Amino acid sequence: MDIHKLLKTLTETPGPSGYEDQIAAVIEELWQPYVDTITRDRVGSLIATKRATKNGRTPPRRILLAAHMDEIALMVRDVEEHNGSGFLRVTPIGGVDTRQVFGQLVVVHGRKNLTGVIGCLPARMLPEEKQDKPFDFEDLLVDMGLPIETVNSQISIGDFISFRQPLLKLMNKRVAGKSLDNRASVAAVTVCLEQLQQRQHTWEVIAVATAQEETRLLGAYTTAFAVQPDAAIAIDVTFGKGPGANEHVTHELGGGPALDLGPNVHTGMFNALKATAEEMELNINIETHQRASGTDAHGLQIAHAGIPTAIVAIPLRYMHTMVESVALKDVERAGRLLAEFIVGLDEEFLGKLATGVMEEEKESKS
Amino acid sequence: MNNLIKKLVEAYGPSGFEDQIRALIWPEIEKYADDISVDALGNLIAHKKGDGSGLKAMVAAHMDEIGVMITHITEEGFCRFTNIGGVYPHTLLGGRVQFADGRVGIIHSDRITDRSKIYGLDKHFIDVGATGRDDCPVQVGDAAGFHREFVANGKMLSAKSMDDRIGCVVAIEAMKRLKQTPHDVYFVFSVQEEIGTRGAEAAANHLDPDVGIALDVTLTGDVPEAIPMAVSLGKGTAIKVKDAGMIAHHGLVQLMKKRASEASIPYQLEVLTGGSTDARSIQIANGGAAAGCISIPCRYVHSQSETVHADDVENSIKLLVELLAKPIEL
Ligand SMILES: [Zn+2]
Ligand SMILES: [Zn+2]
Repeated sequence: MDIHKLLKTLTETPGPSGYEDQIAAVIEELWQPYVDTITRDRVGSLIATKRATKNGRTPPRRILLAAHMDEIALMVRDVEEHNGSGFLRVTPIGGVDTRQVFGQLVVVHGRKNLTGVIGCLPARMLPEEKQDKPFDFEDLLVDMGLPIETVNSQISIGDFISFRQPLLKLMNKRVAGKSLDNRASVAAVTVCLEQLQQRQHTWEVIAVATAQEETRLLGAYTTAFAVQPDAAIAIDVTFGKGPGANEHVTHELGGGPALDLGPNVHTGMFNALKATAEEMELNINIETHQRASGTDAHGLQIAHAGIPTAIVAIPLRYMHTMVESVALKDVERAGRLLAEFIVGLDEEFLGKLATGVMEEEKESKS
Repeated sequence: MNNLIKKLVEAYGPSGFEDQIRALIWPEIEKYADDISVDALGNLIAHKKGDGSGLKAMVAAHMDEIGVMITHITEEGFCRFTNIGGVYPHTLLGGRVQFADGRVGIIHSDRITDRSKIYGLDKHFIDVGATGRDDCPVQVGDAAGFHREFVANGKMLSAKSMDDRIGCVVAIEAMKRLKQTPHDVYFVFSVQEEIGTRGAEAAANHLDPDVGIALDVTLTGDVPEAIPMAVSLGKGTAIKVKDAGMIAHHGLVQLMKKRASEASIPYQLEVLTGGSTDARSIQIANGGAAAGCISIPCRYVHSQSETVHADDVENSIKLLVELLAKPIEL
């Protein structure tokens, strides 16, 4: 599987939180060959099912893989006229890093898609107290070079605006672009589904591209409730190492996926994933969270009577900017790890989780 | 309609203490519902049956209002208090509150030594006319709502707790006018919205609707130095696209716009940067619902003179009826 090509398609397709139709259609097409059914639910998440290929229990146990497909974006807050031209005032959707919005290219999803630039007065023309500060959304505007009449007929308040950024190839099989958070993980799930074509598994796999994660983890809560899986894994990005980044919460790009430990993660799931990685001789990192993990795992975990949940994370630099960077190798490794883990799931797995045998097994091995 | 508005806005009902306002709403809707129930949290749920061809819809307007709760009574008989919901000290001085028994108290603050400052709630007290702790008729744990008469200034309607009794009025009027609907509609007069949309959350878990529509107030950008917002008083009902708590279902927003245009109902599109509504809870309940909000533009929200425009109220009712009377395709 050409991961660069895959990421190019995925990251260059718009999918602001709450407006995921286009990205969902692209993912649906990607996953279709590998799964048995695929649907979208009431909040917009894409839910694909791959049936068990090896006889086991009926009905089979089910594992849910959740990778959010939505991305941070902007929304039209107001339309403003200046000398006959129309400009847009905007508000962020999700955690947009305000230091880097000025100067970006955008697509305004009005009656048709319109390209625009995000402008602002030059620093020297701003009041002194604003000159060396990150941009205030009140000062930024979107300029499409269109007369006010066209703007008024094509665009209304509440229209979504996505960032426009081609995926760049960097050295050492790295790429930089927008929405690698979390299309890198969608790609990893795609790799996993492809790998499973050649393998047998007794558990049913529910792959979900969740909607509205960046705003409220919406798809995680709702799909976990609707699907009621026996176990779940959230796949998301985590902070990559780089100059100035601290040692303890960041991970080397190309150093392998990170397995997360903390309140949103079932330690048995963590141990089982770690054991799988060790068997595969696949590099992993261990990461921690102390409160909410900030990933879909937070929502998955508490559905119904609770779901044993894990987090597989892909190291990424410059999070929530248009130059998010990942190593292709980490995406591929995350996908392979997921597939191998799923192949290893058997009838005893849940029982072992419950009794903590995973822990003992791991200890006896080492 | 002003009589109904006056009756509801002047009633007592801080979050968690909705018995009186619920008792007022019940008789207003009795005739128009197929059945009515009250759940364990106190939500008033009125079911209007569909013809079986539509969806299950939950319409939520919250009955509760912001208020205060007594935390301590001084030896001199003054009541210290804390907030129930978003009560801000700069709206309080000289204001009045009413307790469940109808008793009215006056709010003032400790001696002000610096007039340029706003003192915290802990520096405020309520005077109920007691001469000491022993004859104070109010006790710790008593809740009070604000006390302010309804005023109609032409079409400008002002009162305390327009948020969200005006939403309740929209729901009641829509129930009256909605003769037939394909949908199974549950009108929920919800509790505890102001402290985290909790009533709607329980109701949505229980009802498991396909579609959720909250009726609530939204802010306007048409007063001096307001937070920029393209919603004005009197310019139409507001269709929510986004607020701080959720992004409305895109298909539902499009449908609301379509229904409004078809029926020539003036509307505005709402992008609210602070605050949220019951729709937030409905959206994420169970397997999720397509959630949206018909908002009534309101100036001075969470003050004692929340102000709405009669035309916006009327247009909100019309849009809700249009939406519920016809098929909902998302
Ligand atoms: Zn993410
Ligand atoms: Zn409200």
